[in-house]
Amino acid sequence: MAKVKEYGNAELEEKLRDTSYYTDDSNPQFLEDVKKISRTAANMCFQCGTCTGSCPSAPRSSYRIRLFMRKGVLGLEKEALNDPDLWLCTTCYSCTDRCPRDLAPTDVIMAMRNLAFKFDIVPRNFLKTVQLIYNSGHGVPNNDVNRAARVKLGLPADPPTTHSYPEFIPGIQKIMDFYKMKENADRILSEGEH
Amino acid sequence: MVETKNEPRIGVFLCHCGTNIAGSINIEEVKNYAKTLDGVVIADEYQYMCSTPGQSKIIDAINENNLNGVVVAACSPRLHEPTFRMATQEGGLNQFRFEMANIRDQNSWVHMHDLEGATEKAKDQVLIAVAKARMLEDLQPKSVPVEHAALVLGAGVGGMQAALDLANAGIKTYLVEKLPTIGGRMSQLDKTFPTLDCSQCILTPKMVDVGRHPLIELRTYTEVEKVEGYIGNFTITLRHKARGVLDPDQAAARAAATGILGTGCNGCGDCDAVCPVIKPNPFEMGMAPRKAIYIYHAQVMPLQYTIDFDACVKCGLCVDACGSEKNAIDLEAVDTFEEIKVGTCILAIGFDLIPIEEKREWGYKQYDNVITGLEFERLICASGPTVGHLIRPSDGKTPMKIGFVLCAGSRDNTGGVNKAYCSRFCCMYSLKHAHQIMEKIPGAVPYLFYMDIRSFGKMYEEFYYRIQNEGAKFIRGRVANILEDPITKNLIVNTEDTLLGRPVAMEMDMVVLAAAVQPKPEAEHIRQMFGVSKSQDGWLLEAHPKLNPCGTTTAGIYLAGVCQGPKDIPDTVAQAEGAASAASIPIHMGEVQLEPYFAMCMEDLCAGCGMCLNQCPYGALDLIEKNGRTVMEVTEAKCKGCGTCGGFCPGGAIKMQHFTSPQICAQIDAFLLKGGVN
Amino acid sequence: MAGNMRQYAFFLGCIAPNRYPGCEAAAIKTSAKLGIELLPLKGAGCCPAPGAFGAIDLKVWYALAARNIVLAEEMKMDITLICNGCYKSIWEVNHILKHNDELRDGVNEVLAEVDMEFKGSIDVWHLIELYYDKKVCGVEKVRDSVVRPLTGTKIAAHYGCHLLKPKKERHFGDTDNPMWFEELIEALGAESVQYRNKMQCCGAGGGVRGYDLTHSLDITNEKLINLEEVGADALTEVCPFCQLQYDRGQVEIEEKFGKKYGLPVLHYNELLGLAQGMTPQELALDLHAIDCTPFLEKIR
Repeated sequence: MAKVKEYGNAELEEKLRDTSYYTDDSNPQFLEDVKKISRTAANMCFQCGTCTGSCPSAPRSSYRIRLFMRKGVLGLEKEALNDPDLWLCTTCYSCTDRCPRDLAPTDVIMAMRNLAFKFDIVPRNFLKTVQLIYNSGHGVPNNDVNRAARVKLGLPADPPTTHSYPEFIPGIQKIMDFYKMKENADRILSEGEH
Repeated sequence: MVETKNEPRIGVFLCHCGTNIAGSINIEEVKNYAKTLDGVVIADEYQYMCSTPGQSKIIDAINENNLNGVVVAACSPRLHEPTFRMATQEGGLNQFRFEMANIRDQNSWVHMHDLEGATEKAKDQVLIAVAKARMLEDLQPKSVPVEHAALVLGAGVGGMQAALDLANAGIKTYLVEKLPTIGGRMSQLDKTFPTLDCSQCILTPKMVDVGRHPLIELRTYTEVEKVEGYIGNFTITLRHKARGVLDPDQAAARAAATGILGTGCNGCGDCDAVCPVIKPNPFEMGMAPRKAIYIYHAQVMPLQYTIDFDACVKCGLCVDACGSEKNAIDLEAVDTFEEIKVGTCILAIGFDLIPIEEKREWGYKQYDNVITGLEFERLICASGPTVGHLIRPSDGKTPMKIGFVLCAGSRDNTGGVNKAYCSRFCCMYSLKHAHQIMEKIPGAVPYLFYMDIRSFGKMYEEFYYRIQNEGAKFIRGRVANILEDPITKNLIVNTEDTLLGRPVAMEMDMVVLAAAVQPKPEAEHIRQMFGVSKSQDGWLLEAHPKLNPCGTTTAGIYLAGVCQGPKDIPDTVAQAEGAASAASIPIHMGEVQLEPYFAMCMEDLCAGCGMCLNQCPYGALDLIEKNGRTVMEVTEAKCKGCGTCGGFCPGGAIKMQHFTSPQICAQIDAFLLKGGVN
Repeated sequence: MAGNMRQYAFFLGCIAPNRYPGCEAAAIKTSAKLGIELLPLKGAGCCPAPGAFGAIDLKVWYALAARNIVLAEEMKMDITLICNGCYKSIWEVNHILKHNDELRDGVNEVLAEVDMEFKGSIDVWHLIELYYDKKVCGVEKVRDSVVRPLTGTKIAAHYGCHLLKPKKERHFGDTDNPMWFEELIEALGAESVQYRNKMQCCGAGGGVRGYDLTHSLDITNEKLINLEEVGADALTEVCPFCQLQYDRGQVEIEEKFGKKYGLPVLHYNELLGLAQGMTPQELALDLHAIDCTPFLEKIR
């Protein structure tokens, strides 16, 4: 087994890296976590490819939802969670509609994203949405141009949501704080800025 | 014979077969051509000659034109020769006054895009057929009576089922088995897929039924020595191998014949206990010991001990242990012979695993912990050598990671030990093995290395689903090789996860090879005795892969089970029932009609040299004394009309009916010299 | 009149009120003409965005969606909404929590912190399904409300993903070639036009618009090519986020890929508003990135 080469040369180590799948590469708990979060029997995938064939992101990228299903089954946690393609699912659910094993590959992707977040792996735009909701209750908050337009339409400048009733925002914050979501988002965003 | 001297009056009928023929051949042109041929008085065409109106055209034309020969240019005679013969007969002619030109399979389908060429070829085909039709003779089919008994060779689940069906249909059936017990491979299995029935539990009632049936003559530890005869009248010589132990009937017969008393074997096993000779037990795949005097396994039928004379040292301890009251053992026993007469035979001779050790890359017999699927069956079976505890042969430990190598030798075109075909039940039994591991060993994980999972049977795909759901792991990739860790004796399985596109090196505690199956070594000899062909892959050849899967090209011989090609238990039993049904038909009919295509000795030309006798693959020829001369005689019922003797005879004394030399020469002349064109 | 009105708590979401207020205004006015009264759901927030937010932690998604639902439960009123993304969050969480005790208990544990409890006492509807539902409104009633038929226009439908899919967790049936939206389009006097791969995603969802805009727009561009091929005068949808993707997306596609389509994109409620006689000003169509004038001229 030449899994570790100890050439003492990073470039060489990378070029000659052993890409084999070994028994101990598997984290069986990963599959169990994915199943629990996604509420689908991810282990039952038989790799037919209907999902990738249904996927609008697949033709324009290296994203293959089938491969994520496979990596889930094999317990290839790090590999799946560190793959930037994980974030290319538009959650259109076409694969879920067509899966012959009645699985929800889309929800598997969502579960893997949830698990990635636990390792601080998450694109910045997702975290910014978190901050916006935390601060205003809205992921896409109001702005002045829109306020003026609303008034012209005979609508109140701010909608009757948390915008008009900011007293509801602390409740939203409490819920998010319960899961330390804002805290984590802030931390990850600030670490990224270094 | 009178008609042959008459002017030939031939009718030619061309079939369009929809567009199958008419799409590639100019029928009108061929029809007009046919009209120009010598002896042709009418040429006609129709969309489907085999249809009722098509046949009516033939019948009417015979009557209206006083025809004495009919040519139909259509599909293969294998398909519709009987149809058109009947039409010829209905028209009032002898049915053999008919000749067929295959302008579909041999022409339009091959030359689909060459209208001109195909049309020219069709003309030649019609020309040749007409040339023969001009010389056809009246022939009479031969009728022979059928013996009211059947032979089933091989008493596995297929053979037992066939024998039971035949016997239940009122036919005396000889069930011949090479081993000392009936039951076959199925006895060795622990559970069956997909129902997970205990194999022995569902098999033993059938074994008991076979043993009890008044119309089944059980012949265990017996082989076929010689086969003579033909459908309806086979004479089979059986060799009863020296068993060395008498059952109660044999003991009674001995007492009557010789006055030596003794009640015979009651299966008590006292002999087994004292026998000093220990050999590997083949039923347990060599993983347990067996004495020189033995029963094959605990549930044998009949319950009667057998001496392995290759191992026995004739110490006599068993004789003493058996005692004078039973006096069942005869250490000087020799093989005996029996001649039986049967009308039909079913071959159900089973299969073997390939010698998978010859696939060196998988390490069977090199590495302790690589075993075969059949060995796994014995290791997981509660009545097996480990009482159902799966253990690693290297250290007796319980394996927790078990690899299953599917297509181990199957679907491999490299020849030799490898087999090009799918062995058809390995996927399913490997899934079953995976289930058994997870059921019996908490935390154990089966890894199935596969190219495809072929779960085609009823409830099979559902079974695959179930096993995956239970936690079996599937790696899609054929195992390249297996390496052994010299210290731990663990196994490194190398393959590619083709779904991931990367190499895999997984460490397993144990590996089970789902080895391909192959015909039994004795199958070759048996098929030659019975005159059965084999297909390219060595399995016995059925008469037609779709329309006659139980029959063979030798009338009266039928096939059941894996000997015809890999199949699982349900398919084997179904084919056995089919074969039994087919084999019972001639017996119930009481007589069979034979095609009159046999050779005929023209005795005044025969020199009695006898050289033809060895040429005949069917043993149909004999030399006899007739009118003071030695001449050859054909046993018509045995002759298949192959023509080997006719072509060989140096004196031209053998006439092949319906394929006479003048007929064939006329065909050749017609083609080469374009003879017969007006 | 008010006695015949069915009342619903109107869940606005984010993009409709904060980017396309015409959708909000149109929904209220057009529904009123169809016997549906939309009442403000005070204090509601983001649904929250199923792709961007659920992707991070589904538990928070369940809880925040449940908070919005509980606001309506307290009003003792079913929710209706006009956005497919909101539909996924609000309808689906309502559905899941009604059927999954474990998740509901988890959610209620959090909601207790803000003195709320999910009871599962209301239902959630997309406004378009209420329009199509004969028991509530029906295509005929929509047709009867039209005073300015959109005759002579070819309008393509974009159903959007989260309304219909996953099929097994919805009640809309066919997700490969449904036709009910087309019926509602034709009720307005327009010709509904079929185009290649009409059920394909707009490309915005799952956080992809924010994560990889180019990738996201390439999906949108494929749809626009297919729409151009059949000569659609406008595209209509029932999701302000899809609308944003198609409308602003066209500007971004022109910037990034140099392709210009000029295809007006209107929410069904905006179309319905026009057909019921509302002016473009009353619908704030000037807020659309793609000029709707060519379409408006066709129906003048």
